[in-house]
Amino acid sequence: MEIKDIKVQICDDSVLVRKKMKDYFNSLGITEIVEAINGNEAVDVYKANKPDVVFMDIVMPEKTGVEALLDILAHDENAKVVIASSVGTQENLKIAIAAGAYDFLQKPIDFENVKKILERISEGRK
Amino acid sequence: MFTQLFGNYLLNEKIVTKQQLIEALEVQKLVRVKLGVLAINAGLMTAAQVDEVHAEQQRADKRFGDIAVEKGYLKEKDVEKLLAQQKSGQLILGQALVDKGYLTNEKFAEALNEYKKINSIQDKDFTADQARKLHTVIRNFCIFNAFTDSDNYISYISLLFKNIIRFIGDDFIPLAPEVTNTLEVSTLASQEINGAFSSYTAIEGDDISITEFASRYANEKLTENDEFSQASVSEFLNLHNGLFTVNMSNEQQTELTLAPQEITQNAKISAPEGIFVMPICFPFGTISIVLSSTKPTKE
Repeated sequence: MEIKDIKVQICDDSVLVRKKMKDYFNSLGITEIVEAINGNEAVDVYKANKPDVVFMDIVMPEKTGVEALLDILAHDENAKVVIASSVGTQENLKIAIAAGAYDFLQKPIDFENVKKILERISEGRK
Repeated sequence: MFTQLFGNYLLNEKIVTKQQLIEALEVQKLVRVKLGVLAINAGLMTAAQVDEVHAEQQRADKRFGDIAVEKGYLKEKDVEKLLAQQKSGQLILGQALVDKGYLTNEKFAEALNEYKKINSIQDKDFTADQARKLHTVIRNFCIFNAFTDSDNYISYISLLFKNIIRFIGDDFIPLAPEVTNTLEVSTLASQEINGAFSSYTAIEGDDISITEFASRYANEKLTENDEFSQASVSEFLNLHNGLFTVNMSNEQQTELTLAPQEITQNAKISAPEGIFVMPICFPFGTISIVLSSTKPTKE
């Protein structure tokens, strides 16, 4: 799969973060982008769209990113959910890895790291 | 200051596996950072010298520090300074990985140096003028000493101004702060930090200041104080609070959590314990940093 063909889900309560990520994905030629603004919506949007990768914030209203991650994995054990948070503490990293996160990004997001993740997915690596 | 997790870096660079990292994170509470790891971190000894001292320790019943001093690798006062840094998160994690045999001292030294190169903002990155401003802000803040957790608040304010310089700009003048019981707010983006250190944190400004501050953080020209501008100011606050939380975790082993941000407009907020307000003047207007030990009520 080429990077431009990856279907991406963004889940963040900040309209700014969603726009910045969308702009970056568009710049890579990615057109299939779905969004969610809280943890509950993230699970519904995932089920309805089956994206190849989800970029998920932790601190969100309704349901946290880690709870949403667990729900998504319960629905699809092969889901690739990247936790992207400003709170990259040892504890959150441990929780995210233990919960089955595909990767962990510390905000402010360095898009070079996002690209590395997309490359990994396009090459079909675990 | 570190903006990325060392553990995450090790994982991304495939230096350790997920399983190894989880095991090391599990045991790290029991780990005491050894002098060798501290000396590598400070750049005072090479991994080879540390291994040599360890080998010597096998033969003679002596402490690491004593041997390193005898061999001329460390001075007495270095040893004292190093021992004071034993609580650093990256080092505890590194030591746990070395203890488990997942990293050699050499590999650890290499990874840590690379990680620091990529992720640290050294104080020397700030100009003399910026450093002076930072100093003024902190001195002003200290005069008040209105909070019981004053050391944590000083770290908080100091990091906040570094982040303002980094993400917004250094063309500001910090004004004298005040403590009040009630505050009229125009637009206020707030977030609560919870845990062993808890605080209500916020950024306040009028339409123009919020829009301009937001434009700078978003790196886009925004024209009005709308949902997008408010999201930008909120996200700056969230980013700063996140980095503060990471530092508290790394440096003090204190795990804090953040609540979702909130926006309040055209209201009066009050807190009986007092609200700390520090205005900062930018060319485009004034932004206030608002802090309180408890969440203020809205009228």
